[in-house]
Amino acid sequence: MSVLLLRLAGPLQSWGTSSRFTRRNTDRAPSKSGVIGLLAAAEGRARNESIDDLTMLRIGVRIDQPGQVERDFQTARPVDGSAPLPLSYRFYLADAVFLVAVEGAHDLLERLASALRTPVFPLYLGRRSCPPAGPVLLGMREGTAGELLRETPWQASGWFRRRHSDATVSLETVTDCPPGTPGSVLVRDEPVSFDPRHRQYEWRSVLRAPVTVGNPDHRVHDPMELLGGDG
Amino acid sequence: MFLSRFEFNAVRRGARELLASPQRLHAAVLAAFPADQSRANDQGRVLWRLDQQPHQTLLYLVSPHPPDLTHLVEAAGRPATQSWESRDYAPMLERLTTGQHWAFRLTANPVTTRRKDGTATRSQRFGHVTVAQQTEWLLSRAGKHGFGVVEGRSKEPDVAVRGRRTLRFDRRGRTVTLATALFEGTLEVTDPSLLRQALTHGIGPAKSYGCGLLTLARAS
Repeated sequence: MSVLLLRLAGPLQSWGTSSRFTRRNTDRAPSKSGVIGLLAAAEGRARNESIDDLTMLRIGVRIDQPGQVERDFQTARPVDGSAPLPLSYRFYLADAVFLVAVEGAHDLLERLASALRTPVFPLYLGRRSCPPAGPVLLGMREGTAGELLRETPWQASGWFRRRHSDATVSLETVTDCPPGTPGSVLVRDEPVSFDPRHRQYEWRSVLRAPVTVGNPDHRVHDPMELLGGDG
Repeated sequence: MFLSRFEFNAVRRGARELLASPQRLHAAVLAAFPADQSRANDQGRVLWRLDQQPHQTLLYLVSPHPPDLTHLVEAAGRPATQSWESRDYAPMLERLTTGQHWAFRLTANPVTTRRKDGTATRSQRFGHVTVAQQTEWLLSRAGKHGFGVVEGRSKEPDVAVRGRRTLRFDRRGRTVTLATALFEGTLEVTDPSLLRQALTHGIGPAKSYGCGLLTLARAS
């Protein structure tokens, strides 16, 4: 199996899976529908085109830098000043960084990788107002999503890494799993169609587990070590 | 030359009294040597630095003669179980060659010397207080001390100001104010003899008050 590694980082991200109407929540990690949507946008697929090949991909997310939830209170009005639209709340994740592993067939992933390098539609992190900071594509690797989430170096920003004084850090992962796996939970996040007239989502089974990765910014300054032996 | 390390037991009253004042700590460090050994000679001088971490306070000491820190252990250490470590610095100093990379740590007192205004008759020292000024101070002096700061991942000099403090303490009835900065990063040796001089004679002012001691460790 091959894996496409993505780094999702930006000032704001928003990954809703369940909310409708005036209160639009965000999850604490990218949703499968959001990531599939990002890949479909890179390829330039229209909303009503089929995404069946993309939903077959297995997706795992690692929360490298959890970020903070921000609330945006909107008081929109029509241009003609008539009756105001309903007040609404939109929630965002500020300053978060995620590692996303997309597992699937080599040929399909290679096509997606080149689409991510030269995307047809602009890429965004869950909502149109949330552009990514820096390139989204980290690279393509061989292995499974689980392995790569364990092995890939920590992607958090420098200022965040330096705050951690320990040599290792424990990060939470959310990975696709077969339904019924012990400890798994169901979320309504399996996109079936993005057609604006008939959006459809199915249930998706995910497993949450922590992984431990090294902290590249960990430094112990020990000048005595170089002098060896006891003096 | 000798490099020594002593761990304070920060809950003891003696330790708190010493850690509260660089002036008292300076006196305690000098008390580790007989009068004729505490002066600087052509090999080097007495330099010290406090490395304060959340759960550990270490005193590093570089000196031409081996120190006797018994008084510190008794007043501010763990006399029943721990003393201090002291090692010969010469092998390390001789190992320095051009092109080596080392992780470094330095607490310094970055200052600029100038006249206060047009009417001032003498110049005086003014502390650098921003990170940018303090970093610039170190980078502009690195070459003179026989090293260059290597470039990090994002093509910027690999040096960070990890801690800034303004020390105020009494010295013979007058208040001394020092702006200190703790620098950490990676250096490349450009002139071993100049770097040896910097390691044993210190960098910048306020060397009696815990500033100017540069230490090297394995680069990560």
